[in-house]
Amino acid sequence: MRTITIADAAQPRLGRGVRLQIDSTTGKSVLLFPEGVLELNETAQEILIRCDGRTVSDIVLALSKEYDADPVALAADVRETLADLQQRKLIELA
Amino acid sequence: MTVPRPYALLAELTYQCPLHCPYCSNPTHYCRATASVAARSGRRSARPTTADAVDSPVLNGELTTDEWQRVIREAAALGVLQIGFSGGEPLARRDLADLVRAAREANLYTNLITSGIGLDDDRVRVLRDAGLDSVQLSFQSDDTDLADEIAGARAHQRKLDTAAKIRAAGIPLSLNFVIHRRNIDRLPQMIGLAEMLRAERVELANAQFYGWALLNRAALLPTREQVVRAREIATAAKARLAGKIDIFYVLPDYYETRPKPCLNGWGQRYLTVNPIGDVLPCPTASSAIPDLRFENVRARALDWIWRESESFNRFRGTDWMPEPCQSCPQREIDFGGCRCQAALLTGKASNTDPVCTLSPNRARVDAVLRDLNSSSNQIRDWTYRVNPKMVPARV
Repeated sequence: MRTITIADAAQPRLGRGVRLQIDSTTGKSVLLFPEGVLELNETAQEILIRCDGRTVSDIVLALSKEYDADPVALAADVRETLADLQQRKLIELA
Repeated sequence: MTVPRPYALLAELTYQCPLHCPYCSNPTHYCRATASVAARSGRRSARPTTADAVDSPVLNGELTTDEWQRVIREAAALGVLQIGFSGGEPLARRDLADLVRAAREANLYTNLITSGIGLDDDRVRVLRDAGLDSVQLSFQSDDTDLADEIAGARAHQRKLDTAAKIRAAGIPLSLNFVIHRRNIDRLPQMIGLAEMLRAERVELANAQFYGWALLNRAALLPTREQVVRAREIATAAKARLAGKIDIFYVLPDYYETRPKPCLNGWGQRYLTVNPIGDVLPCPTASSAIPDLRFENVRARALDWIWRESESFNRFRGTDWMPEPCQSCPQREIDFGGCRCQAALLTGKASNTDPVCTLSPNRARVDAVLRDLNSSSNQIRDWTYRVNPKMVPARV
């Protein structure tokens, strides 16, 4: 599988036809896409609700403030999650 | 046993279809005296006719708009997050946009699974405005003549037009190719068509042998050599197009050594409601497993059917499993495979899927493969799918 590097200046957004919503059965966030449902862990959920046109660096900054976390370690987590979602066409990078 | 919640509902709105694909998994004998199937047969003799959009009022005891809207609300309340509108050809239902709207109001993700015949500009707009999330458009090949021969109708050019309309309306597009002996060698060109049409997703689905496809298995099953090559092509394309087109390759299970994890387990994630309202754990179960009695949404609430009915509980979990499944470490990975395939090939739905090499019935699958691979790769006749007879609704 091709490795995709996520640039700091990239602006991730939900992919075309992908919906982020609350699953009323569990109260947790899910991604809905053609023929699929992805139940999100808390990290993925917190990243995805911030995929609104902001850059990757801004998302990392916002999360590190919110959770009082080390931005370097956090940046690696964010990139890994975004790369995985991008490979599956669940997000697009502008 | 704790009953899980379902994630997806397949709504088979009608069995009417403008195409006649011999690989269709719809039943060859339609539900309850709605059809006497006088199969048109002949491969080359059947000249493709222009595929006309079927425009049916509510026929053959099909559920009404109100009934479908109630089913949709009940499904959402049960936990369903996604609905696939299918058939037959769901566009044959003039009330499709009303059903899409009802599904969106219930917060469901809506997917239209279609041949594309009957999807003109107006209808694309109406469906988009109703909130349709995605369209899965079927193609039979990339080549017009072959595609039309498979469909038994002149449809390919119209599908290309339809794909452009779907794109222009901004609706995400998935392509679906059912793969079989007559088109499997064109896999690279078919993937190329998906790239040209800028599809988001492509499903390359080897034919599964149920309904019409089982009837036509001798004509459809690819050779081992074809299967090996196709897998290499699909794997390479998946890597090359990662992040651009999501490619989903459905394996030809007769050539596997372990069965597919059918439905992720019986009554675990999926339910199907067929045109007359029977609720099925699997779309092919009503024809494949005749001794199972299915409940109908006209008589029972969906919640009860999902949780309590015999049909949904018969093969739920692992207690029903015979050996070799019962003591198999894979039993919660593949769930013993497909109940319909076990019923169709061994005569008993509770048997291990005979695709599994641990099954005492694997020899039946091997015999089919041996017969095919030892003979020359000749073209064999198939029988085209026909529609149920039109029986006007008694009002």
